[in-house]
Amino acid sequence: MFISIQNVCFSYPNTDRSALDQFSMNIEKGEVISILGRSGSGKSTILRLLAGLEKPTQGTMTIQNEVIFDGKTFLQPEKRGIGMVFQDYALFPHMTVGENILFGLFQMKKAEKKKRLAEVLELVELQDYEKRYPHQLSGGQQQRVAIARAIAPNPHLILLDEPFSNLDAELQVKIRKDLREILKKANITSIFVTHDENDAHALADRIVKLKDGCIDMIGRPCDLLGIHPQPAPQFVPIQETRELVSV
Amino acid sequence: MQRRLANVNMWTVSAAIIMILLFLPNLTIVTGIFSPANENWAHMKEFVLGSFIKTSLILISTTALLTIFIGLSLAWLIAQYQFPLRKFLKWALILPLSIPPFIGAYTYHGIVNYTGVIQTTLRDRFEMNLNPSFFDIMNLPGAIFIYTMFLYPYVYTITRIFLSQQSASLIESARMLGKGPWRTFFQVVIPISRVSIIGGASLVVLEVLNDYGVVKYFGIQTFTTAIFQTWFGLGDIESSIKLAASLMGFVILILMIEKLLRGRRQYSYSTTKVRPLPLIELKGWKAITATGYGLLILSLGFFIPIIQLIDWMFLTLGTIPMGEFLTYVKNSVTVAGISAFAIIVFALIVGNFSRLVHGKVAKLLPKLTILGYSIPGAVIAVAVVTAFIALDRFLAPLYQMLGVGTTLVLSVSLTMLISAYIIRFFAIGYNSIESGYDKIGTDFRDASRLLGVGLTKTFFKVDVPMLKGAIISGYILVFIDILKEIPLTLILRPFNFDTLSTKAFQYASDEKIMEASQASLLIVGISALAIVIFYKFLEKEPD
Repeated sequence: MFISIQNVCFSYPNTDRSALDQFSMNIEKGEVISILGRSGSGKSTILRLLAGLEKPTQGTMTIQNEVIFDGKTFLQPEKRGIGMVFQDYALFPHMTVGENILFGLFQMKKAEKKKRLAEVLELVELQDYEKRYPHQLSGGQQQRVAIARAIAPNPHLILLDEPFSNLDAELQVKIRKDLREILKKANITSIFVTHDENDAHALADRIVKLKDGCIDMIGRPCDLLGIHPQPAPQFVPIQETRELVSV
Repeated sequence: MQRRLANVNMWTVSAAIIMILLFLPNLTIVTGIFSPANENWAHMKEFVLGSFIKTSLILISTTALLTIFIGLSLAWLIAQYQFPLRKFLKWALILPLSIPPFIGAYTYHGIVNYTGVIQTTLRDRFEMNLNPSFFDIMNLPGAIFIYTMFLYPYVYTITRIFLSQQSASLIESARMLGKGPWRTFFQVVIPISRVSIIGGASLVVLEVLNDYGVVKYFGIQTFTTAIFQTWFGLGDIESSIKLAASLMGFVILILMIEKLLRGRRQYSYSTTKVRPLPLIELKGWKAITATGYGLLILSLGFFIPIIQLIDWMFLTLGTIPMGEFLTYVKNSVTVAGISAFAIIVFALIVGNFSRLVHGKVAKLLPKLTILGYSIPGAVIAVAVVTAFIALDRFLAPLYQMLGVGTTLVLSVSLTMLISAYIIRFFAIGYNSIESGYDKIGTDFRDASRLLGVGLTKTFFKVDVPMLKGAIISGYILVFIDILKEIPLTLILRPFNFDTLSTKAFQYASDEKIMEASQASLLIVGISALAIVIFYKFLEKEPD
């Protein structure tokens, strides 16, 4: 099991309502998971918990059998090796595209950094934009920089928070396709949250539908088409024929 | 519990130490409330306390309203419109802050009194003998005028920076929704800049409550003058501490109102994209009115008093040796520079702590430390002296070991004065840094941590560069405030250590108003220079 989330609960300070209640799921390496739900359903909370930006009240989370959270352990966000693309990208405005991408590569040697920068810029097709500042880019380009920055340090997992919400419809379709290609090419496990069924169906290997902090449904996009909500199975077996990709 | 423990790190520890040090002197005041009352206090409570409260209320509420009116209207004009002299006015309108209100007060009194330029001109040129009481500004409305003209930049700067950096999409969407400029102003601009307006106005209110120079010169009875009278006039330090405690209660009330007005909203913005507001060009009489309004305020708050001071300076040139003056300049700049630097560093640490740790205590503690600003300089002085003498006693064995011949080392050094400045002016720096942190939100920090960069490195590589504006504006405000400070400096300076402000104040209170002009002009000159130098870093005009 690549990523395992077991019985995770969370509620925001000063509220009684739980944002997430007994959330459990397992994710295989290379999978693209979509978390679908209305606003307030707790979908962004899962990302923040996995990233380590919030702390669950109970439960266990592991990545490659390493515990990132349980009753005793809380691994700080910077130690988790998880990349995140924020809803409004959070590109550092005082750094160029190149500097933004290099920001997470501080452990690499100079030559290595240069190579990796060129690689990810090519991956997101922004080779000529290295010296530009974020405010000189379009929304779609900013998003690709944010993806490149998150992918560059080779994270175990990449989280995308409403990746299409700031883009126009035409661009959405194109970027959706690009994003799937980028993620698959880079072979990175990813979770993205969205409120748009089309996004989820177009991108995901598996979809998790959330309602009021609980799993409403879980399954492959083709399985969920036209299905009315029904109780979620406790555990979804992964197809054995799936080819597990090594790092 | 576990959640709390995980948050104990270097930031929490340093913030806790800083807050304790800042808070200790305030405690001496609190304990003063519980000491038994003497007859002076009973007399004051019965006969005069009510009138102090009334006078102080009128002073602060009227000044706050007027500074908000002037500060906000100027900020809006500069942030949103293009008109002649806009670029000059944009930074020049901060300049009145470089004139300490007490200097403004004696200068304006000098201008309008019987022998002043206005009445003399009317008499000599136009043979008009008007009733001198018509020109009397040594009263409550006069004091309000002085405070407003020299303190409005607090509201102006904070609000303008907010409006020009953060409001573009909100203001543009209001216009797209068919709102004209006036409706946009009242329905969008005022509500979104509420935090900046209240932040600026609360600084003004605290300045007014603390001021000693203007009310003393104009003969108005407020809390501060009463504290000085009770302490130095009656020699009754206990009653003066009780008065200070009442003043502190007053300030706590104001801070609570501020909190209430800010509301529950966390003021970070829906977008992390910082986009400047495009300017709308004003033409014809609108442009003339805008320029005229800006110039009028700037003249009242800066040019008129400066011209008078320059005139007096030429009249008294040569009466004070130059070498002496250079020493005052050096002293002033050194203590203000060091203290302002320390304050900004402390404010960054405490502000980051308040942002990292959830919970009510973490949000409340920094608020308590800024109470130092509410306590009159003279009272902080007593608290600091007491603490430093105790510290010297504690360190006496060490001094002996090192072969120092005296037991008083720290308490006769500049360290004591600088510590007192830090306690007194922490609020100014903290306010600026806190609103900077509010503005950048937490997404950038989170993004950096998820890229594997730890909290401390994130602080230096992401937070500090993004807080540059807040750091520089906070530094300027603190630096200028310390340069102008009087009571703390008078009481805590080492022997033979004079600054420009102590010199100016001494001359003015000896009724050598003209002689005071030289030191005053230097204070104003250095402050104005600091504004001009730092202005370049503050904000770059969009290309």
